[in-house]
Amino acid sequence: MMTYDILIVGSGGAGLYAALESRMEEELQVGVLTKVYPTRSHTGAAQGGVNAALANLDETDTWQDHWFDTVKGSDYLADQDAVEIMTREAPMVVREMEHWGCPFSRTDEGKIAQRPFGGASKPRACYSADKVGHVMLHTLYEQGIRHGVNFFNEWLALSLLHDGKRCQGVTALNIQTGRVHTIRAKAVILATGGHGRIYWTRTSNALGNTGDGTAMAYRAGLPIKDMEFIQFHPTGLRRTGILVSEGARGEGGYLLNGLGERFMSRYAPEKMELGPRDLVSRSCETEVREGRGGPDGEVFLDLTHLGADRIKERLPQIRELCIEFEGVDPINEPIPIKPTAHYSMGGIHTDLNGQTPIEGIYAAGEAGCVSVHGANRLGGNSLLDILVFGKRTGRHALEFARNNDLVPLGMDQEKADEAMIAAMMAGTSGDSVADIRRAMGELMAEKVGVYRNAKDLESAVDTLAELQERLGRVRVQDKNRAFNTELVSALEMKNMLDLAEVVTVGALARQESRGAHTREDHPERNDQAWLAHTLATRGGDGKPKLEFNPVTITQFEPQARTY
Amino acid sequence: MSDKIRYGFYSGCCFQGADARFYEILQDVFAKIDVELELIQDAVCCGSGVIEERSELTSLAVNAKNMAHAEKMGLPLYTPCSTCFNVISNAQKRMRENPALHAQVNEILAEQGLEYKGTCKITHTLWVIAQDVGLEKLKERVTNPLSGLRVASYYGCHTRNPADIQGFESADNPTSLEDILRVLGVQIVEYETQEDCCGYHLAWPNNQLNMQMTANVLEGAHKKDVDLMVTSCPLCFKSMDGSQAKALAQTGKNFQLPVLFLPELVGLACGMSPDEMKLQFHGVPVSLRL
Amino acid sequence: MSETITPDRKSILANIRIQRFTPGQHKSAFYDNFKVSVETGMTVLETLRLIKNTQDSSLTFRAFCRSKICGSCAVRVNGKPVLACSTQLMPILEDFKKESVTIQPLRNMPVLRDLVVDIDPVIEKLSKMHPYLMENRDRIPESLEQESLMSRQELSRFDYITDCILCGSCYSACSAASADPKYAGPLTLAKAYRFSADVRDDFKGERMQAAVDQGLWSCAQCRKCINVCPKDTRPAVSIQRMRKMSIDDGIHDTPGSRRAKAYTEDVAKYGQVNKPMLPVIVNGPKGWAAIEAADNYLRKHGIEPERQVCLLDGQNSAEQIYDKVKEIESKGENKI
Ligand SMILES: Cc1cc2nc3c(=O)[nH]c(=O)nc-3n(C[C@H](O)[C@H](O)[C@H](O)COP(=O)(O)OP(=O)(O)OC[C@H]3O[C@@H](n4cnc5c(N)ncnc54)[C@H](O)[C@@H]3O)c2cc1C
Ligand code: SF4
Ligand code: SF4
Ligand code: FES
Repeated sequence: MMTYDILIVGSGGAGLYAALESRMEEELQVGVLTKVYPTRSHTGAAQGGVNAALANLDETDTWQDHWFDTVKGSDYLADQDAVEIMTREAPMVVREMEHWGCPFSRTDEGKIAQRPFGGASKPRACYSADKVGHVMLHTLYEQGIRHGVNFFNEWLALSLLHDGKRCQGVTALNIQTGRVHTIRAKAVILATGGHGRIYWTRTSNALGNTGDGTAMAYRAGLPIKDMEFIQFHPTGLRRTGILVSEGARGEGGYLLNGLGERFMSRYAPEKMELGPRDLVSRSCETEVREGRGGPDGEVFLDLTHLGADRIKERLPQIRELCIEFEGVDPINEPIPIKPTAHYSMGGIHTDLNGQTPIEGIYAAGEAGCVSVHGANRLGGNSLLDILVFGKRTGRHALEFARNNDLVPLGMDQEKADEAMIAAMMAGTSGDSVADIRRAMGELMAEKVGVYRNAKDLESAVDTLAELQERLGRVRVQDKNRAFNTELVSALEMKNMLDLAEVVTVGALARQESRGAHTREDHPERNDQAWLAHTLATRGGDGKPKLEFNPVTITQFEPQARTY
Repeated sequence: MSDKIRYGFYSGCCFQGADARFYEILQDVFAKIDVELELIQDAVCCGSGVIEERSELTSLAVNAKNMAHAEKMGLPLYTPCSTCFNVISNAQKRMRENPALHAQVNEILAEQGLEYKGTCKITHTLWVIAQDVGLEKLKERVTNPLSGLRVASYYGCHTRNPADIQGFESADNPTSLEDILRVLGVQIVEYETQEDCCGYHLAWPNNQLNMQMTANVLEGAHKKDVDLMVTSCPLCFKSMDGSQAKALAQTGKNFQLPVLFLPELVGLACGMSPDEMKLQFHGVPVSLRL
Repeated sequence: MSETITPDRKSILANIRIQRFTPGQHKSAFYDNFKVSVETGMTVLETLRLIKNTQDSSLTFRAFCRSKICGSCAVRVNGKPVLACSTQLMPILEDFKKESVTIQPLRNMPVLRDLVVDIDPVIEKLSKMHPYLMENRDRIPESLEQESLMSRQELSRFDYITDCILCGSCYSACSAASADPKYAGPLTLAKAYRFSADVRDDFKGERMQAAVDQGLWSCAQCRKCINVCPKDTRPAVSIQRMRKMSIDDGIHDTPGSRRAKAYTEDVAKYGQVNKPMLPVIVNGPKGWAAIEAADNYLRKHGIEPERQVCLLDGQNSAEQIYDKVKEIESKGENKI
């Protein structure tokens, strides 16, 4: 049986930072298990920036400003002690990245460049052209090679193992061979990223952001937190959900409905297209709901009036993106767009060191929920989250592994997983993953999306139960075990459906509107009743059970969130 | 009579000295299709990309000078060598993208009373024939169609990579060479290695690899049982013909594949004799049923 | 005033020809044909996914970000390596004027299944190149209280290479890599240069040795890698720059570095490369054999060989250019 002191599941920014931190102790064995090659993780897609109050652009910026902005942005649902740690440590981790070679853009004096970002009172997003996540991810990977981190590339973690008190390890599928293995570890860090894919094509997330680690934890009886909070971005491309950045609107782009009307005049007559993200998303959604969308349920981002020269000069990347991914040249025609699920605020419940209630099991990054983002994440804060808490988690796991022994472990789960896979692959007739996945995505976008209400959510809960049933009947048609991507999809599907259910049940329970969660039937924030974290655990009947925990407030009393 | 098409001729190193025959052949063949070459005076070696391994700025300045002369002559710069074409086009592109660099290069040239404006059009044999002369006219001049010949066409790399030095044809699906060959009457045979590089520029730094790469391309064509290979690049021609014996011996392959430089084949199709095309100079004997 | 928007979306029924192969199950690779209605806006990846979802769920390919940043999805379409996720199919059908395309796995790497190749050999080559920054303590402070400073100019020396997503397209296109399995390939050498060109790095010697050992001088400068790189990182240019660095170091004396010196000096002196003498200049005395062979060849054809450099007439002016460039470069005013 493969044995590690620390096994990290996931090789995005959070996993790799944790790996580097825990590698500090040379004699400990650290393994990183990842379903894609490390540099392919979704962290690479982040374009905008990572926040840290370096005060390189605005000398007056302080980490306390950053602290407040984050708490306010979270609609007061973030835990303020956690946010304090994150914002205070931010300059250190960003400088550490820089010292490792991360090519941040530079100011005139040669310092790390910073730019303004939505919700931030000062320009503090450190950037590297439009590729900050990519260069951070590669820098971490490079240092991982330097420090001899062991990688299991293209391995899919299946189940999390513990004895009720202590971590035992995981089971995982080697995708290239199709074999299931048990991997024993004193500590496991789940850094498996977000679950935006429960909206299937209506997301900016990678195809594999299926919330595997979060679902593994949930199935293993661990609590998962604030799952109803999913951030939407207003301008995803129609076909793929890939983001068209705010730059296009900043440069003077119009939002048009299918009738060619600049509909933002209805919702934000002054700010028009430049209103806040959530308002713009809701407005787009309303247009389509009320029958004023395009032929495919889209609205349009129109740049044609800017003229070819201005588009080529000021928005070349956006133009390239539209041509490559949508086959539309924005010089000639409006860009079809839809709001797109972008970030999962919720995740595995942890403390400030990334620990879950089971000793030796940790979570970090978008898969975890410390909570620093509360009901709404600020742009540039999630890359920071993965660095700060990736590092803290790695360090804590290192301490833990140093001071503890392995726990005995049998082969039961491996056998069970193997049996489940064998069952999925036996027989030919049955439902197809692709159909269920599509149905789930459409359902979630329509009923658990930008707008929510009790009636839709209730019906969504029922439909999800039906989809679960259908999933039980899915048969993988590809019978070859080696590199069976259909099997991988089926296993991911299981994770997504479990999480979709928790998201929906949480959204139904939370009878208020806060941050990214908008209830048409409860349009106000309600601190009296709902200034609380939602904790979901899996009940004996397989259904989520909800509990509510108080929010940690140390410094800033909740106020109305206006900008 | 019909108008002549004129070019500023940049010879590079392939069309002089021991290879001077190619210049003569080229002039004779071009005369058949109403093309006239006017030698660019005061030209300097393009540096073959190798000077860039010492100084990129030198390479740019030297080639800006070559282009400045063509501009002064008011003619497009035509070079029959793919590498010269590549290096000069690349210099043009880089100065277009970077006006500060362009200005700096002009400062360097100013001492010689030259200015590179950036308007110079650069072209190579395929485009001269397929685009400027045109396939129609070529067809008129073909008196000895080479029907029945099975030909492996080979562009080589330096008129094709990168895509942004491409002229009038599709970067991913160029057809000028095949279009010309078809007019000459031959049958074109596709083969697996037709996109591979002959490795000519490794002749000095890593000759063994050069031979391996050349042998790989040749073998791909040989497998398809072709009568000959035709290339539009004089350097590929050197690899494929001049080094063929060595390349095949070194890689343990045993066959001979005649190789022609495109103008030679055009000449033959336009009624010129193998002697006039100096085919006896080839490393691999060319004995074709013509 | 406002007009209803009716997007112009075409559709063609196309034949998608895909290379298939599962080791252990098939003896050799073969092709399957799928009929797909290709619409405006459809990428190669969407086409593959559509086939997998509706026609053959065993069709195997990689994809993750589906937004041109993870490097998973590179395949060859009509022979050219591209990212499936950022390549529109309709324009390709139009370009090739055929209602059919061929999709194959990348070359130069073993096929694991259908369109999936094993990239581990390439990652191993990369790992041997010391592809990471080793702190130069003159530039990088020990303490995390301080940033290291780096000018935009210094950053620009290597920033363009950091766009690389390790997709393997360049490696697939590289004929030197096909011919020499030991050759490190474009992306790995470019990565080596990326770090050696970073002023914050202090590991240049060993990395240079690794680069020389793994084929710094085996690149044919065919520039295919530049052509196919979806991120426009121009690997062949970085290889030239790494070569320059190696020559400037003065440690590695190789035929390649001797050639570069010879070309450069010759062009200054004669406006032209002294080709007749190159064999001796690059290979030393044993080069005379090559010169004699060439002479004999010429004599055979009735030409009397001359040992003179053939002259373009630009010889005088070349020297002037060199002097001026040297002046600029010594002042560090190079605008490259
Ligand atoms: C388009 C886009 C733009 C963004 N821009 C920004 C920005 O500008 N600033 C910012 O701060 N944030 C941004 N974000 C958010 C940020 O990128 C993510 O929140 C963050 O990168 C998540 O990092 P992570 O390490 O937690 O997870 P990920 O990077 O998603 O990595 C997850 C890892 O887990 C592995 N994994 C998953 N499941 C399994 C399994 N079952 N078995 C084995 N391995 C598994 C995967 O292989 C992967 O390596 C953006 C997000 C998107 C989608
Ligand atoms: S230029 Fe060099 S590295 Fe690039 S493809 Fe050609 S031989 Fe390979
Ligand atoms: S250099 Fe370009 S083609 Fe090569 S791996 Fe990197 S991104 Fe891909
Ligand atoms: S899927 Fe990531 S680059 Fe194409």
